[in-house]
Amino acid sequence: MTSIVSIIVFVLGFIVLGVNLKEVQIDESAGYNYANARQSVRRVQTAAPRGCIYDRNGTLLAGNRKSIGIVLSTTPFQKRTWEATQAEIIAAIDRTGKIVGLENPLSDKAVRRHIRQKLSMPLLVWRDIDEKALARFCEHEQELEGFSLAETEERVYPQGRLASHLIGYVGRAEGDLNAGDVKFNFSDREMRGRSGVEHYYDSFLRGVSGEKNLIVDARGFTQSESTIKVARRGLDLTLNLDAKVQRAVEQELKGCIGACVVMDPRNGEVLAFASAPDYDINEFVPILKSELYDSLAGDRRKPLLNRASGGAYAPGSTFKPITALAGLGMGIPAEAELECIGVYEVGTMKLHCARTWGHGIENLKTALRDSCNPYFCNLGMEAGTNAIITAARTMGLGAKTGIDFGVDMAGVVPDDEWKRKQYGQKWYQGDLAQMSIGQSMLLVSPLQMARVAGALGTGYLVTPRIKAGEPVARTKLPFPAKDLAKVREGMELVVSSGSGKAGGEGVGVKVAGKTGTAEVGKGETRRKNTWFIAYAPAENPTVAVAMVVEYGVSGGSTTAPKVGAVLRSIFNG
Amino acid sequence: MVRYFKNFNYLMFASMLALIAIGTVAIWSAGNARSEAVFHGMWKQTLATAMLGLVVYLALSIADYRKILEYGSVAAYGTALVLLVAVLVFGAKIYGGRRWLWFFQPSELSKLCIIMFVANFGRRFREFGFLGFVLTGIAVGVPLLLILAEPDLGTALTLVPAVLIMMFSLRIWRKGLFVILAVIALCGSAVMAAVYEAEKPGVTEERRAAILKWVPLKAHQVKRVKVFLFPEEDILGAGYNLRQAKISIGSGGFSGKGIGKGETNHLKYLPQAISMNDFIFCVYAEETGFIGSLALLALFGMLVVPGAWTAFTSNDERGEALALSVSMLVFAHVYVNIAMSIGLVPITGLPLPFISSGRTFLLTVMAALGMVQSVATHREVGK
Repeated sequence: MTSIVSIIVFVLGFIVLGVNLKEVQIDESAGYNYANARQSVRRVQTAAPRGCIYDRNGTLLAGNRKSIGIVLSTTPFQKRTWEATQAEIIAAIDRTGKIVGLENPLSDKAVRRHIRQKLSMPLLVWRDIDEKALARFCEHEQELEGFSLAETEERVYPQGRLASHLIGYVGRAEGDLNAGDVKFNFSDREMRGRSGVEHYYDSFLRGVSGEKNLIVDARGFTQSESTIKVARRGLDLTLNLDAKVQRAVEQELKGCIGACVVMDPRNGEVLAFASAPDYDINEFVPILKSELYDSLAGDRRKPLLNRASGGAYAPGSTFKPITALAGLGMGIPAEAELECIGVYEVGTMKLHCARTWGHGIENLKTALRDSCNPYFCNLGMEAGTNAIITAARTMGLGAKTGIDFGVDMAGVVPDDEWKRKQYGQKWYQGDLAQMSIGQSMLLVSPLQMARVAGALGTGYLVTPRIKAGEPVARTKLPFPAKDLAKVREGMELVVSSGSGKAGGEGVGVKVAGKTGTAEVGKGETRRKNTWFIAYAPAENPTVAVAMVVEYGVSGGSTTAPKVGAVLRSIFNG
Repeated sequence: MVRYFKNFNYLMFASMLALIAIGTVAIWSAGNARSEAVFHGMWKQTLATAMLGLVVYLALSIADYRKILEYGSVAAYGTALVLLVAVLVFGAKIYGGRRWLWFFQPSELSKLCIIMFVANFGRRFREFGFLGFVLTGIAVGVPLLLILAEPDLGTALTLVPAVLIMMFSLRIWRKGLFVILAVIALCGSAVMAAVYEAEKPGVTEERRAAILKWVPLKAHQVKRVKVFLFPEEDILGAGYNLRQAKISIGSGGFSGKGIGKGETNHLKYLPQAISMNDFIFCVYAEETGFIGSLALLALFGMLVVPGAWTAFTSNDERGEALALSVSMLVFAHVYVNIAMSIGLVPITGLPLPFISSGRTFLLTVMAALGMVQSVATHREVGK
């Protein structure tokens, strides 16, 4: 009897177990599989190689350099306690360092941090090792259990300082581990553009990162890994920039504070884009060190400022062609004359001419040639504020240029409303007179002025383009062709016999241009920003230039010779 | 000799051999996952022990169990008492308990000794009625208390059904036995209810302490009951073992991950200290899946059901009691071990017969089953 009951108990007992095991192993299996994966799989985002940047002739401006480092896998060094594991790892690094001939670069704290936070990932001990260390490593590889070589890519800029403000620089991506609906545990921290073209075209250059799964044990040590998705290399980028022109421009700006933009006025292709002083972007790789950044940021000459498209300058006399177009547009004939006596009075304000004793009788062309202030003050007063403002805005001033670049300063074309808001004052006639000669709160960038120079030469205002192959965007200027012709004649005179003779000296083609000298600041900081804008060949322009040099003497003597040298490098090459 | 081969229970023997084979593989897999090299070859030692056990098994199956009980049960019982005292005095302290004497665990061996003693003397105790019950209680209670002192709650707990079934079979104060069963069930429920009251969310620390003062369990045992009652709480602390055990078993799925390919075991998520012993079912179930689990249950069924059948067909009271008790002991081990791995009962340190790596227990179980086989081979046919 007891035996039969026992048999029933045994059978029932095993049925109960079987039913419960079915629940765990069949019904709830998916949940436990997920729990298993969640605790034992670490997802790693792997960096994609970054695309290269070339100039229009295929010169490499930004590329990648293979960097060999020595990494340590923590798994072979695990000990019962974390302290012992850390000691073991540090001892192993010291041992390997002796064999390879390198010092241990990591502090104990850094090792501990790695153990605590990134145990499953390899620890990069020596980055960028030299050939001697590499040879020693390969020779002793068998003895160096747990150590292996790791190839990473570092950004390299083979042209050094060339076009540093344009190209920009990269930094390592911050630890943003959420990519869409995928959550990563670790990331290789790929390079991300931080400024310049590297930043603006980052999504283009950076490619598609890959995915790797690490299988870790209960303590977090990696046991195996599998690639889920291979990283895809970023696309290469070709710029309109011409490295030769850029080099010539930078040669001229060396030692100065200033900026220069050279572009093709027919299609907006930016041929040179320079800001001085500059810096060597290679020093920003692999990371921008804070001492370097601080010294650059603290420099009074502001090398980090991109003056080419972000510098705000009064255009000075380079604005006079626009005043001229406004006057012609209002029906004031080019032949209208004014006697320059060296000073022009508006109410109580006296505006002086560059030539203290005056130019005598001037018309539009000669006034452009001589850069006569009284003539253009008078012309502006007659044309009126609205005409000047409209002409300035038609030439693209006071608005972003639309360039494919992160820095695109709009600048200022002031009017009554703006002045009231900014200074709480109304617009005076004196402001109009000042504006007519490119002063009075007008602010422009060299990029804008290069565009103006090109537009004066071709009759079309184009959108500047950094990247090659972008569609041309241009608008026809609304000024009558004969008015433009008058201004062009004046600008040709500037170079042939006027204030900007040095701008065309020795250049194989005919150059048209305009000088500018804007006085800014008061007292100690009072200085002259000297301008020269030009287009060439005068008959059918293919090049437009705008250059500004701070602390210059005058546009004609400081800046025009530099532009002349740039033009010679382009046309006499 | 003809009767020996005719009465020999081949099903029981074959299932035992199959279980030994499965156990060897499971220990190989669990041992390989451990960092300490000493465990990698553990399966060889287990297999060698099983071979020794096989000799013992066959010898005992040939020998007449009645003679063994008659002449050996007192000696066995006395030896068990001496060893249980010795382990408390000289035993090595491992994981908070004194269970090891030199190379074996006296508490495992004592199970068979106690069963032999009661099987032999139960008949005489019966004559005293209630007093016989008390005498049996003392005979079992003394070694049981020594085992509890180690402490080895699991062993003590599996002995209770093994002894009770003998008392039923031998009709020792039978009417009182039902009362005992009721009292055990009541006490168990009361302890569960008390722990639930004390550990449920939102109970103040004073109230918890006040309730637990009345619960006759040690702190770590309360913790295990708590994990049983609230398995999802604290899965990184006290509930970690059960959680990982369930992940191992559950992720095995229908057909398992393959022999030697258990991830949770090899990645050491399954607690290493017990993966070869109390939690070896997890290692096995992860690698062989639900199919493997069912096969294992079937093999254990083919071991314990023929055991009870041997008792049924035996025409000797002692033989019946012995066969039933041993079968119940094996069943209790299997049931509690697998049930605790999936959270059906609170976690108790308890080996799974033939699969876990404990060698004293393996030898004990094989000797016990050898005696059951002896009961089968020595039954008087046609009487």
